[in-house]
Amino acid sequence: MTTRLIASTRESTGKTSIALALARLARERGASVGYMKPKGTRLQSNVGKTLDADPMLARELLELDGELHDLEPIVYSPTFVESAIRGRETAEDLRDRLETAHEALTTDTTELFVEGADSIWTGGVVDLTDPDIADLFDADVTLLATYEQARDIDDVIAAADAFGDRFDGVIFNGVPDGRYDDVESDVASFLERRGIPVRGVLPRLPELAGVSVEELADELGASLLVEPATDGQARVIERFLVGAMSGETALSHFRRTKDAAVITGGDRADLQTAALDAPGVKAIVLTGGYEPSGAVLGKAAERGIPVLLVNADTLTTVERAESVVRSGRVRDEATVDRMQALLTEHADVDAILD
Amino acid sequence: MGASQTLTLDRFESPTVTRDASGLFDPDRIAVVGATERDGSIGRAVIQNLETFEGDVVPVNPSRDEVFGRACYPALGAVPDPVDLAVVAVPPAYVVDVLEDAGENGITDVVVITAGFSEAGGEGAGREQELRTVAATYDLNVVGPNSLGIMSTPRSMNATFGPDIAPGGSLSFMSQSGAFITAVLDWAADQELGFKDVVSLGNKAVMDETDFVTHWADDPGTNVVLGYLEGISKGRAFIDSARETTQSTPVVVVKSGRTAAGAQAASSHTGTIAGSEAAYEAGLEQAGVIRANNVQQLFDYARVLDGLPLPADDTVAIITNAGGPGVMATDAIGDSRLRMAQFTDATIDGLRDVLPDNANVYNPVDAIGDADLDRFSAAIDVVLADENVSAAIVVSAPTAILDYDGLADAIVSARDEHQKPVVACLMGGDRTRSPGRRLGDAGVPNYFDPARAVDALSALDRYRTVREREYEPPATFDDVDRDRVRAILETVTERETNRLGVEAMGLLDAYGIDTPAGAVVETPEDAVSTAQSITGDVVMKIVSPDITHKSDIGGVKVGVPNEDVYDAYEDLVTRARNYQPDATIIGVQVQELVDTESGTETIIGANRDPQFGPLVLFGLGGVFVEILEDTTVRVAPISNREAGEMLDDVQAAPLLRGARGRDPVDRDALRDCLGRLSQLVTDFPAILELDVNPLLASPTGAMALDLRLTVDPDQL
Repeated sequence: MTTRLIASTRESTGKTSIALALARLARERGASVGYMKPKGTRLQSNVGKTLDADPMLARELLELDGELHDLEPIVYSPTFVESAIRGRETAEDLRDRLETAHEALTTDTTELFVEGADSIWTGGVVDLTDPDIADLFDADVTLLATYEQARDIDDVIAAADAFGDRFDGVIFNGVPDGRYDDVESDVASFLERRGIPVRGVLPRLPELAGVSVEELADELGASLLVEPATDGQARVIERFLVGAMSGETALSHFRRTKDAAVITGGDRADLQTAALDAPGVKAIVLTGGYEPSGAVLGKAAERGIPVLLVNADTLTTVERAESVVRSGRVRDEATVDRMQALLTEHADVDAILD
Repeated sequence: MGASQTLTLDRFESPTVTRDASGLFDPDRIAVVGATERDGSIGRAVIQNLETFEGDVVPVNPSRDEVFGRACYPALGAVPDPVDLAVVAVPPAYVVDVLEDAGENGITDVVVITAGFSEAGGEGAGREQELRTVAATYDLNVVGPNSLGIMSTPRSMNATFGPDIAPGGSLSFMSQSGAFITAVLDWAADQELGFKDVVSLGNKAVMDETDFVTHWADDPGTNVVLGYLEGISKGRAFIDSARETTQSTPVVVVKSGRTAAGAQAASSHTGTIAGSEAAYEAGLEQAGVIRANNVQQLFDYARVLDGLPLPADDTVAIITNAGGPGVMATDAIGDSRLRMAQFTDATIDGLRDVLPDNANVYNPVDAIGDADLDRFSAAIDVVLADENVSAAIVVSAPTAILDYDGLADAIVSARDEHQKPVVACLMGGDRTRSPGRRLGDAGVPNYFDPARAVDALSALDRYRTVREREYEPPATFDDVDRDRVRAILETVTERETNRLGVEAMGLLDAYGIDTPAGAVVETPEDAVSTAQSITGDVVMKIVSPDITHKSDIGGVKVGVPNEDVYDAYEDLVTRARNYQPDATIIGVQVQELVDTESGTETIIGANRDPQFGPLVLFGLGGVFVEILEDTTVRVAPISNREAGEMLDDVQAAPLLRGARGRDPVDRDALRDCLGRLSQLVTDFPAILELDVNPLLASPTGAMALDLRLTVDPDQL
């Protein structure tokens, strides 16, 4: 029975989709797999009740039988942390809880995939950092990292150090086009020379980096006044611009972005038409519940730019929208499928799973 | 409106061909599709309005056998005789079918009055898309949809649902607001204003202002073209067409959405992006179109341009019997582009002969309050005979001895005899009605306020300069490297933003705009070797599309000696990372140090206007552009002459000619740069915005020291 911890240098490295993709790849190789996320950190409510989608997705995709409280034994909410500080949660109790869960999940499995937290140091408050958990479960550790600038390597080296002998290698995910060659050659050789195996370099795929208009509308509770065009082209939103300036400067501002949605008041026809004219704007979100003029909707429909309407104010909407993109897009099987394909093509899966 | 009423469409590219409007205004047979006797319906209004039409009118409506005594047919195809124009007033769902019918039956001119298209949201936009497709398939000339209709007075054709037909005359009027047309026509009746053709443009799905401004150029019945527009659909084409039209026929346009508040309203009304005001000013000016700022000006200008001969130059004489108003008129001239005429000695002597001793014989001529008609008209005559006088304003207050009607006749005769423009300011109320009408019937405008008279004469003078222009084609440069530019622009596809900076300065070189020696390097070693290849100290700048104000964060080092280059490189990169850790750092630019004191800092730039396409911009640098906003724009491509005009347009122009002991800058080099920039942005529609700040102009040339641009990757 092998336990494999998938750890990460920071949030949004694609940890969940990679963990599930690896689990499936292992299953294809004949293993019987399980999944656990010891510290649930993505929450729907912040009072301790969790509907963390990750273990639920895992259970569905891997056809697991485990109970949710075993799949995610600890909910690492702010309330939880406060309790720990006040001494109401002890490290021993929590270790016991984790061990019990671990036992329950590994009765029929040959490989347990454990998903780490957004940072390997999360959980220090109760002596349950990812390195602590690796020790507790006697796990091998595969680290996930991104590479946007040279100093990101520092985090990889520090993490490798922290996991010691358990460290099995690093996978770089979401590497931008411009950096891909650097990472594959220079960075990889540098790390190998230091005894840090590089198991894979996965390129950044736009559809994995952003959110579709439909998903955004769902998350924001928005109604679609103009639906996305059905021409088969995937439209992915990666960033948001707020429209609150004058009409003339707006166009200049909106033109500089790519794959963006503009968030502005429903009464700002000048900003709406400027947004429709900027090539990188892929959707418009109108706030305050104000419906825009028919002429603007007509223009939007003509240009194939979807228009969403929410009742919330602009600030709230911006915050929610950005968190949707930031928190990553593991909501469905399609993402895990794509990740599986990426791993097969750009990573040494055999080395990872041995 | 809600999620259930949505529609999905693809991007629609508007056509650039000009359509032939001649079939719209002189048909022999008009079919009214949707004609009916039903009270309160549009179909009824249209067919009733067409009662006065001198040609044939045929109602078409599948649910009627006859309409107001005329035989009614179920469809266009069923009409036995050939139809020249179809006017469509059926519910929106049927319009496209009717257009197909028209196309199938060889009817190419159609006016769609029906509303419920792109002005009404997503589903309507879909319908308009279909309308365009059918129109393209059958090559139809379609006005509207959402149009009041069209009129043409010579044959009393009123194919609209408005309450009145226009009074006959020689003004042709197109409007993006149907409501404005009905208001104007009602008002015009009292105003001695007459129209030739009137068009309610509606949504401009197929035909737009460019088509009509082209058509009316060759229409002998049109003396002046008037327009109310909220946007111009094909800016460049409009400029090219209007420029030709204005060589023979004046064009006056109110383009609203001029202010920020107005722009919002316009966007809401028609979904048009309002476009930059500076672009409109430039575009309309380059087209020779006279811009009116409001309704009053629109028709004041129309009147003078319709009824008066063009002046020979900008000199004006004032003849008055009221000293005070005479001074007011003089002030108004001082404020305007016109000049007070200086009389010849012969004129002064002549005036002394006909006026009393205490009268003023210089300009403004004051014939004194006790002037009778003989004295007044004699003075007018003497003044207009003066070769130094190109135009005149007659300002008069009512007195017991002055016969106002007679004065009106005298003014008209003076204009006719001397063939010079004369404008009347017969001040008063009731007493001016009769003379006002006499003047109006003869095409001489009359105002209470001398300032309005002066404003109108200024418009006339502006048109004179338009007529005197000679067209110069845009400057072209063959020594350019398009492939190099394309390669540089394509690097933007690897980025997360659409911006490029100094690392793209190669594209200026590629188009023959001088840049300092240097390179963008990625290591301190390369920085040193680059610095060594440049004579003297260097300038080093951090290169990152995410850092816009480099100097603010210590991202620029001026005058770095070779031995400090290595450390300077490290320092720049460190500062940049501290300031914005997630900024993408492309490298450091190491550049020849150019002494900015040796020249004058200017700015050249370009901006893609949504309506006119690329605009070229020029200004003097520093406070002139940043605080005073003293810049000028032209719609590209520009001619060498236009580039020269730009240099003189800015208020700070004297600095270019040399001020405070400096030598004048090399104007040819500056014009060259503007022309080359104009070609660059015309050749590459992907360039959305570009700034060269500063372009250092000196007596020996011009050099670009910095560059920022925004690119549209979809247009590469």
